[in-house]
Amino acid sequence: MNPILINRTRTLVYLVLWLSIAVLLTVILTPSGTGLSPIEAFAITLPMCLLYAFICQAAWYLCKAIPLSESALPRLVATHAAAAFTSAALWYALSLAWASVLEAAVPFESLGPRYRAAGPILFFAGLLLFVLAIVFNYLLITFESSQRAENKALELQVLAREAELRALRAQIDPHFLFNSLNSINALIMADPAAARRMCVLLADFLRGCLKLGSEDRIRLAEEIHLAENYLDIEKVRLGSRLTVERSIDTQCENCRVPPLILQPLVENAITHGIAPMLDGGTVRIEARQYGSNVKILIENPFERESCRTNGTGVGIRNVRMRLTNLFNGDARIDVKEDVNENRGRFRVELQLPCIES
Amino acid sequence: MMRIAIVDDEQLARKLLREYLSSYEDIEIVAECANGFEAVKAVTDFKPDLLLLDIQMPRLDGFEVLELIGREVGVIFVTAYDKYALRAFEVHAVDYLLKPFSAERLREALDRAKARLQARQLLPIEDLTAAARPPGARAERILIRDGANVHVIPVSRIDYAEAQDDYVCFRSEGKRYLKQQTLADVEAVLDPSQFVRIHRSYILNVERLAKLELYAKDSHAAILRDGTRLPVSRSGYARLSSVLR
Repeated sequence: MNPILINRTRTLVYLVLWLSIAVLLTVILTPSGTGLSPIEAFAITLPMCLLYAFICQAAWYLCKAIPLSESALPRLVATHAAAAFTSAALWYALSLAWASVLEAAVPFESLGPRYRAAGPILFFAGLLLFVLAIVFNYLLITFESSQRAENKALELQVLAREAELRALRAQIDPHFLFNSLNSINALIMADPAAARRMCVLLADFLRGCLKLGSEDRIRLAEEIHLAENYLDIEKVRLGSRLTVERSIDTQCENCRVPPLILQPLVENAITHGIAPMLDGGTVRIEARQYGSNVKILIENPFERESCRTNGTGVGIRNVRMRLTNLFNGDARIDVKEDVNENRGRFRVELQLPCIES
Repeated sequence: MMRIAIVDDEQLARKLLREYLSSYEDIEIVAECANGFEAVKAVTDFKPDLLLLDIQMPRLDGFEVLELIGREVGVIFVTAYDKYALRAFEVHAVDYLLKPFSAERLREALDRAKARLQARQLLPIEDLTAAARPPGARAERILIRDGANVHVIPVSRIDYAEAQDDYVCFRSEGKRYLKQQTLADVEAVLDPSQFVRIHRSYILNVERLAKLELYAKDSHAAILRDGTRLPVSRSGYARLSSVLR
């Protein structure tokens, strides 16, 4: 929709503008020595300007059809020149016709020949006005699209922030807390020392989540420590069903990584891998430096028949979304599933740029 | 004397229940089970009055255990997940304990169980069989109890099911498994785009179908990949063609 005709105030302002152009043209026509009185000139310019106001609206569609940024200059100039010439010529011809029509009325006797003698002033004015309309419309379009881009950028920023918050909030599964508290409850009489150890582990883990979650980047060593903290707690609950193997390159421990990026993956390994298995299994965590990148691997076994709870996707989707937001394609997450009969291995590999500070 | 079986995959959770229950003189713990298979076996072997049953366990969950035990028993669910609460009440569980819980809360549940046991208001078997799945959900596997053993058959490995008196016989990978159930119940839980009632007595996994033969006017035979011939009724043929189209 044409941006000027879209609302009433704009149309009104536009028409007032053309009214003043009509007055200006009257002033130009009057002293040309052809004996046109101001009233006679105005009788021509007013209706002609109102008419041209609408003809110039065509410039907007023209500007939309051949956008500045995408069109070749010669084509641009040629099209607009042709359009301006045609409209101005049409306008001038119509004004001549209008003058002849006015002649029929008493106060405008012999207006036609006198107006013709004034020369094609309206033709040149028409050219100029049409070109101005084109320039104005291009400015309007540029302004609008920059505003749209700004809105969109703002919207994206809000979305990214929301995703980040959701990812962080989803970190601590309340059932993990309930189960841990139940383990402590069981240990209090049977093994008070273990109950205390478990309390401290749980407190360390919660504090770690809160502290690290509020930072932008943390050392990889801290992130791995938190994941191990989590696994230690789950070891108390799952007993001999859970074993953990780790192989961490000391070289990459100082890499700065987004906080809580491993924790949801380790949690997945337990809730969807080890916990549903009758005999449990081993979770492997590996971290290696490759040039300027760090590769982190989390691997766990799973039983196909036990995998009824869908939901593995959520944690991985969150991590992937955060990586995209934070690294813009410089980081990746690969998920691999090897299934052999009922047993399978689930591998998640993260690759992040290693930024040391 | 109330005979109780504890079913939980976490050793500490079982320990806690054992500790809480040790103060009761009229309660005997007849079995402690670390998974659903053990629970089914224990119910067969020891016939407890009451199960303290965890829901999320490896291989068989608490609801599936109920489906398999096939006898009247009191059940108190013990879990950290309150999302199961509604279903627990649908299957007429005696009570529902959310981890972690106090000894007092357990006492309340046990009192309720005693009252129910005395009034003989236990879990009806038809509720037990319906318990394994939320209403409307499709089965992903079929559970079959064979004495104290449990067979878990993923539905994709079923060739066909055949009605035999009060039982349904499932054919899977050359073996036969009998389950006390009606064919209509089986049909209701299987995915209708994969399993078609081709005959009053047969449900066929359409992926096993090799070809259809016309052997009399209005009646067909389904030939399976392994050569088995199954009768197809007229309405069965209509259902089959609408699925295959």
